[in-house]
Amino acid sequence: MFDFNHSNLDENGNPGAEIVSRIHDRFGNFPVHVQKPDLIRLNVPQTDIIPLLSWLRTETPFVQLTHLTAIDWLEEDEFELVYLITAPSLCISLMVCIRVNREKAEAESVFNLWLQAETYEQELHEMFGIHFPGSPRQGVPFILEGWQDMPPMRRDFDTVEYCNRTHPERPGREHHDSRIYVGRKFGEKGYLK
Amino acid sequence: MSVFDYNTQPGFDLISETPNAGTTVDPKEVQLWFGPQHPGITGNMSVQLWMEGDSIKRGITHVGYLHRGFEKLMERRKFIQSFPIVCRMCVAEPDTTEYLLASSLEELSGLDKEVPEKAQWLRTLIMEMSRLQVTLMVLGGQVGTMGMGTAPNWTYTLRDFLLDSFEELTGGRVYHMYIAYGGVRRDLTKGFAQRLEATLDLIEERLPYLDDLILNSAVFQARTKGVSVVPTEWADEIGITGPTLRAMGVASDVRRDYPYLKYPELDFDICTAEGSDIYARTKVRRDEISQSIHIIRQILQMMPHEGAYCAKLPNMLTWTIPAGMTYTRAESSRGEMGFVMVTDGSDKIRRVHLRGPSYTNAVTILERMLPGMNIADLSATMVSLQTCPPEIER
Repeated sequence: MFDFNHSNLDENGNPGAEIVSRIHDRFGNFPVHVQKPDLIRLNVPQTDIIPLLSWLRTETPFVQLTHLTAIDWLEEDEFELVYLITAPSLCISLMVCIRVNREKAEAESVFNLWLQAETYEQELHEMFGIHFPGSPRQGVPFILEGWQDMPPMRRDFDTVEYCNRTHPERPGREHHDSRIYVGRKFGEKGYLK
Repeated sequence: MSVFDYNTQPGFDLISETPNAGTTVDPKEVQLWFGPQHPGITGNMSVQLWMEGDSIKRGITHVGYLHRGFEKLMERRKFIQSFPIVCRMCVAEPDTTEYLLASSLEELSGLDKEVPEKAQWLRTLIMEMSRLQVTLMVLGGQVGTMGMGTAPNWTYTLRDFLLDSFEELTGGRVYHMYIAYGGVRRDLTKGFAQRLEATLDLIEERLPYLDDLILNSAVFQARTKGVSVVPTEWADEIGITGPTLRAMGVASDVRRDYPYLKYPELDFDICTAEGSDIYARTKVRRDEISQSIHIIRQILQMMPHEGAYCAKLPNMLTWTIPAGMTYTRAESSRGEMGFVMVTDGSDKIRRVHLRGPSYTNAVTILERMLPGMNIADLSATMVSLQTCPPEIER
């Protein structure tokens, strides 16, 4: 693990500058956006994601996977995968983003780096249809058991159309007045007068 | 190692949950569904167990009984319409998700710089009150899973007094919708501080009796010490936070590590314990009750009595937020809770995803702890991990 210490700070006192320069030295100049002092966003090519995350996990203080999520950019025909990697000792998080093709939505699993990634990847597979080859829970139902339709968190999934198709409105009874309904059903003609 | 290695034993097909053709099933093995209708389960979820006697051989967490598609709903609604949705993401503790929604969108819109001083104090107050009432509930639930009925009655009564304060402040006992964009919805009512102080005094007075019933009880100690130990090496591998991490002796707390609201101005300790077992996690929660009371008293003393409690807001029907992406976090009673929030310049959220501690606690950690566990300890383990199904499924 390299010597990462608080003595190497930027002009605002943020240790994030050092990790960004190390990443640039090692992997090339990715676009970087400092959202706030403890949150830095990196946009990385898909081919670099596993080498970068492996390096962060094994040789830097960024040892925790806090979150893994996806965003559907339907207009650009891409999914954006967001890996939120945290350094507990520095109290900084990196938001590492990659873009994957929407038609062939597939990304490498990070299960070998972080155990809990299996559940995140299982949910993303179920909700967005993104495939993570080698992830142990791929294909095992999680939240949607027996789901046959398009993955529901995709932007082009029409919730209203799905509900109308799957749960059509029943004809209902003719009268809403319960007195008339009961009277007709049980023949109490006195109520119908 | 995946938990599914436990299931890939000869002859078992995980997806169809049936033995493969030509294989024999261990005649001593019994399959048992723990939940979703079971008094020991922590909400609408179930654990599928493979048992040998009263010992668990392996198990899988099943969720899906409570999925409401909240994140999808929020993508189709205006920003102001999301508040009645987010508070239901975690039923017991709605204020954390309300704060996360408000603060993340305020950050992306630039409104965060305009939140008045008093509103920040009021937000801190309700967040800490929320942590306190949940911790009381879980402390009672912890001993309730072991058949000890007195302490839960006491803690639930004390929590109910706190819910009276929530009702007075927000109008609701469970779902508050108190935090709004730019601040909070209303100011403190007259005499509220005195009534809340009286409730805190009552809780504090009862704590020694609760200690005798729970932490000092020989029965409780025998049932919890050395039981369901979470190995410390899982902390980074699984991303453990909150009381589960602090019970390993790690002083980690979002309120201290990633300061937000008025927590940097408040004096409080991060409660830790050693052992990483059910007893240690219960002890952390017991100590956090004292710390929450201490924090709330400081807030009532330090907060300004005058001033605005909400910023001037744009028209909520036409409000648009520039494109951006952020992650906002807060310390809930279970650990780090956060929102990944994405906007695209329109009047609706592009994507929101909740990061909750129950997600890892109820699935990744619990499934790995099950092999070898006695079934009588399962409920206590789940409560000690504070598994919360509404937060897993959303």
